[in-house]
Amino acid sequence: MNRQEEFVLRTIEERDIRFVRLWFTDVLGTLKSVAVAPAELEGAFAEGIGFDGSAIEGLTRVYEADMLAKPDPSTFQILPWRGDPPGTARMFCDLQLPDGAPSFADPRHVLQRALTKAADLGFTFYTHPEIEFFLLEQERGPLGRPVPVDDAGYFDHVPHGTGHDFRRAAITMLENMGISVEFSHHEGAPGQNEIDLRYADALSTADNIMTFRTVVKEVALTQGIYATFMPKPFSEHPGSGMHTHLSLFEGDANAFYEAGAPYQLSKVGRQFIAGLLRHGAETTAITNQWVNSYKRLWGGGEAPAHLTWGHNNRSALVRVPMHKPNKGQSTRIEVRSLDAACNPYLAFAVLLGAGLKGIEEGYELPPETEDDVWSLTDAERRAMGIKPLPSSLGRALEVMEESELVADILGEHVFDFFLRNKRQEWQDYRHEVSQFELDRYLPRL
Amino acid sequence: MSSRTTTTTGALARLGFADPERAVGLLADAALLPLRSVIPDGQVDEVVGAIGDTADPDEALLALVRVLESLARRDDDPEWGITALCTDLVTPGESRNRVLAVLGGSTALVDHLVRHPEHWLDASRATRHTGERVREELVRAVTTERGDVRPYDALRVAYRRGLMRIAALDLTAPDPIASMPAVGEALAELAEAALEAGLAIAREEHGPGHEQCRLAIIGMGKTGGGELNYVSDVDVIFVAEPADGVDEDTALRIGTTLATATMRACSTPTSEGTLWPVDPALRPEGKNGPLVRTISSHKAYYERWAKTWEFQALLKAWVSAGDKEIGLRYKAEISPMVWAAAGRDHFVEDVQAMRRRVEQHVPAGEAARQLKLGPGGLRDVEFSVQLLQLVHGRSDESLRSATTLEALSALARNGYVGRDDAAILDHAYRHLRCLEHRIQLHRLRRTHLMPVADPELRRLGRAMGHRTKPQEAVVADRQASAREVRRLHERLFYRPLLAAAAKLSPSEVRLSPDAARQRLLALGFRDPAGALRHIEALTAGVSRRAAIQRTLLPVMLGWFADEADPDAGLLSFRRVSDELGSTHWFLKMLRDEGRAAERLAHALARSRYAADLLARSPESVSMLGDPNGLTPRTREALVSTMRSAAGRRDTVAEAIAAVRTIRRHELLRVTLADLLGTIDLKGVGAALTDLTAATIEASLGAAIADLERREERPLGGEVLVVGMGSLGGGELGYASDADVLFVHRPHPGESEAEVQARVTTVVQELTRQLSSTGPDPAVSLDADLRPEGKNGPLVRSLDSYRTYYERWALTWEFQALLRAAPVAGSEALARDFTALIDPLRYREEGLTPTQVRDIRTLKARVEAERLPRGADPHTHLKLGRGGLTDVEWTVQLLQLQHAHAKPALRVTGTMAALEALGSAGLLSAEDVRALREAWRFGSLMRNAGVLWRGRPVESVPTDLRDAEGIGRIMGRPAGEASALGEMWRRVARRARQATDFNFYDSPPRGSVNT
Repeated sequence: MNRQEEFVLRTIEERDIRFVRLWFTDVLGTLKSVAVAPAELEGAFAEGIGFDGSAIEGLTRVYEADMLAKPDPSTFQILPWRGDPPGTARMFCDLQLPDGAPSFADPRHVLQRALTKAADLGFTFYTHPEIEFFLLEQERGPLGRPVPVDDAGYFDHVPHGTGHDFRRAAITMLENMGISVEFSHHEGAPGQNEIDLRYADALSTADNIMTFRTVVKEVALTQGIYATFMPKPFSEHPGSGMHTHLSLFEGDANAFYEAGAPYQLSKVGRQFIAGLLRHGAETTAITNQWVNSYKRLWGGGEAPAHLTWGHNNRSALVRVPMHKPNKGQSTRIEVRSLDAACNPYLAFAVLLGAGLKGIEEGYELPPETEDDVWSLTDAERRAMGIKPLPSSLGRALEVMEESELVADILGEHVFDFFLRNKRQEWQDYRHEVSQFELDRYLPRL
Repeated sequence: MSSRTTTTTGALARLGFADPERAVGLLADAALLPLRSVIPDGQVDEVVGAIGDTADPDEALLALVRVLESLARRDDDPEWGITALCTDLVTPGESRNRVLAVLGGSTALVDHLVRHPEHWLDASRATRHTGERVREELVRAVTTERGDVRPYDALRVAYRRGLMRIAALDLTAPDPIASMPAVGEALAELAEAALEAGLAIAREEHGPGHEQCRLAIIGMGKTGGGELNYVSDVDVIFVAEPADGVDEDTALRIGTTLATATMRACSTPTSEGTLWPVDPALRPEGKNGPLVRTISSHKAYYERWAKTWEFQALLKAWVSAGDKEIGLRYKAEISPMVWAAAGRDHFVEDVQAMRRRVEQHVPAGEAARQLKLGPGGLRDVEFSVQLLQLVHGRSDESLRSATTLEALSALARNGYVGRDDAAILDHAYRHLRCLEHRIQLHRLRRTHLMPVADPELRRLGRAMGHRTKPQEAVVADRQASAREVRRLHERLFYRPLLAAAAKLSPSEVRLSPDAARQRLLALGFRDPAGALRHIEALTAGVSRRAAIQRTLLPVMLGWFADEADPDAGLLSFRRVSDELGSTHWFLKMLRDEGRAAERLAHALARSRYAADLLARSPESVSMLGDPNGLTPRTREALVSTMRSAAGRRDTVAEAIAAVRTIRRHELLRVTLADLLGTIDLKGVGAALTDLTAATIEASLGAAIADLERREERPLGGEVLVVGMGSLGGGELGYASDADVLFVHRPHPGESEAEVQARVTTVVQELTRQLSSTGPDPAVSLDADLRPEGKNGPLVRSLDSYRTYYERWALTWEFQALLRAAPVAGSEALARDFTALIDPLRYREEGLTPTQVRDIRTLKARVEAERLPRGADPHTHLKLGRGGLTDVEWTVQLLQLQHAHAKPALRVTGTMAALEALGSAGLLSAEDVRALREAWRFGSLMRNAGVLWRGRPVESVPTDLRDAEGIGRIMGRPAGEASALGEMWRRVARRARQATDFNFYDSPPRGSVNT
């Protein structure tokens, strides 16, 4: 209905695009794709492309009739790795029911709903993720162990390193797709890299993360290596997180900023953090959705496993970073629990929802934690009122199941599907006899 | 000087002054001296009389003083100076009347006169100018003739002078209602002239080079329609084309500058005020779209992306200002698309949604005073006319006027609307608009509300020409018009359909069958051909009954169309009418009995169940005409009616059939009461329970009598029917089976075995007769909860029950007894049976841990096994997670544990027991709420499912049409079908949490541990 759509149709003509991939995301954060010919696109804008929702995880049908994927023209991008013309492009889709109502099973819609709620309160929500991942050899090592492509450390410059070439290629490709990259460097563990995306509104960021994960995997393949966002592939090295900076704007003004307040953090900002902390346990299953996620959370080091906040405290769940004086617009907070394998739509939606709850209910922010939480004893932590995050996926699901807030944010359909699916994963995991058990018990018992 | 004032306060009051004391003071004001000086005897009585004729004499007099004061400070110009005005005022005639009418009709224009007193001449010499002339005058005023006045100010002053002319003519019109369209047209022309002048200013501001862009301003809304109000936003669309040899980007850039400057020229406030906001929001993409587009860009947009409402808006498009040729080219490209809009996909859905929007959005508290919004308001008339234009204008070019009243008259001329109806609506619309104009003119404020204060109503009444009791008269007139308009949809949409269906003389102009079909589709009927056939059948002929139908049906069609299934409503109505049309009371009832017709229409188009019940016995519809017809009858009254009907029959089969016929009649009563919202869920449960109990009681009597007659001896014992499940609980739904136990007790001296055999015969006959297929709905008695279930004897003696329950019964059987309540048969036996089971169900020691475990295990097994194959546990209303069974078992477990200690828990209804558990502190308030909501939602939906489609739904419907129909019965707004599943999941999840906590998790509690 608008110029965006006209622009898309014109570009397709001019750039000789032969296929358009319509992308959407299932409840677990897996990217799905339907390819259509450009000729079908006009119809897709007007009415959507029909498909059978029951075939896709989490889109089990609420109503018998099929679902419609309706492309969002503002997300149109040509896919650079598909080579020169004739080329391929992609757009993200909203999922709808045949009567035009949004599908309750669409994670993108979950986030849109949360953003609408924020807008009703006068806020827009911006996020800025720092995405970590590992580059591995395509062949696995002994016992199926992953093999990192290098052996470097934090910010190391690796001469002629595979990672170096890789990052350059990946960043070029991301920039080609209109995704701005702010920062990239080698991370703490062998083969581990980090790329930061520029801050943008939460929906664009979530779309960008989906694209980012695809681009990174594609580029790795072209270089004969393998990229993974698995939260914790090595027991002995830090895992891959997705620390995410959050900020709320009221019109043009940063709602977290208040000149002269401690850390320049406004009341809104303090209440938002209080919301994140109070609802931190019940949202963990969303922000850290895999069995493996908890190996990272509880692996010590920079991963946060307790519901605390602090200024430059790298063991806190929420960190209020330093920023240059007089840069009120850049006031933001960093949530450190997220991992790169989450469903970004759902994760942003629950973070926003928890924060807004804090604002709506006027939660008090508990005192800041200045110590490294990992170095405290259990008794000290208890005395200071520091509560842990759930210790496992199973525990996280139990807490989430009791949460009205999460049900409200996700909608009943997604809430229920997510719990069922994840309970199954937890059960499958518990059936598994692990290497740990074999190594430790077989010789002894 | 006062000696020369002969006019007394009394005389002033008679002349129409509301505050004569003040008027005396004003008349003595020095400012009036020049006036007196031009009259030979210095007496101003005649002039005062003329002032008294204005809408507001007090304001007019004050205004006169102010204007004369202002004019006294100017030169005494022979043409417009103070002497000229005074001479004009003392000379009776139209010229004077126009000046005084403005002084008494608009304080805003008086304020203008005080600033520019010389402009009284515009009122005095007012004539209707052509649009062209107005346009030239305004453009000259802001360009060549503006002198050293700033252009914006010049525009405002010239515009107000134009307004003064229009107001002076309007206020002195002999018949303001007749001339309303001319006023609206003049106002639109003035607005267009102002746009033209604004554009001239914009071009001057831009300087050389503006001619590279050929800009046209398209008037939309009331401006485009040539039917503007005194104060209104002016809706426009800007169209630009490059001049020869100019590239498009440059032209669009210049066009945007010009458009922005034009809007600014009209709306920026200066010391001379402002005109009105120019609103370009109807352009493609609304506020997000570019302000200016080329013709081809407009066309491309409308071809691809436009929504139905945008085409409706384009009906009004009119070349208002700027480059005429470009404007006409734009119109030529766009108009055909407007008229093709009715062929678009989703046109019908869009139209329905648009209709709903028009009818909503009246702030409460304003509804009674609103002239514009809400059902029957001006907007509704305009919208309805436009809708008919879109539907029929596709094939009939004569309907394509941008003006509401012209379109209405074209619709009437060509038979799309009845002529008389169109005339009535035409008058009502003019009248309401006229009121709106007068209200707005007073302060030049945009308002659509009738005033409430007396002085304002008085002024308004007088401005409308009422001299006696103007306050009351204007309100009464307004109500009369509103009454006519409120029947708008009937007149515009439905009545012409009758003409289409009727075989009238060919000379009469009427709606063609094809047009009728299109219209029915747009109104939400899915089978227009069928609908037309029914309309024809109902209204054809010259009989009295057809005549009544012709007045009834247009209204009823509107009510059908409001519901989820209009076609079914019309079909059932035809069936009932075919049966009853010739009776003396049916049509009379619908015509005369208040809401009977409306209720019937809504019920039939909502509920197939009601339609089916009614189809069997159309005469039952008479209950709608009875003031108490929708109140369910008491159990005693039902039993007595049924007994007497059964007693008149010879065989048991006939007797019970008679009982079932009465039951169907009463079932319809409950159904209608439920559909029309006169009883709630609890009321439905109680009424259905009473009805089933009475049916069993009367039928049991008939079966016993039959046996005694055949065997020629008494039965030899007492019989009791105990209700179990929802029957015992008093919470029956439309789809519930009647769970029962049969008990007997031989009279002393009778053989138990013999009596047992005979009672068994009776009960078998009873069950068979009640459940046999027949014209009336069956009652299926289910005795599976009896001791030993299906393997046990159907009937037992009281003693046998005692032995069984004391020796053999399992925990679940005591649980089932929680809901046992005698429903029919011997009262003495009922008392003794209750005395027998009370200690069993309200056990002194509560439950042992083993018993608690047994109940939980059984429930868990039921959950796993009873759910039908393929059913989704998340949407199954009864057996799903958080469904009715969860609620009932949770309540029952707590009852078994605590009812002995808390007598308040000894009730058979689930809801009553739940509330009692909450009051007793055995369930938290939150859990009570969660369980109650799920039980109510599930029960409501199960009931609504039967009502909607005539057979039960077990799960949240997966078909969107079913969900829509069921949702509407449950009181959900239209068009929100897809939310129903989400709502159920929410309430069910909460109920499941409460069940997990209270039924499964809590430690087994003894009767004392509360």
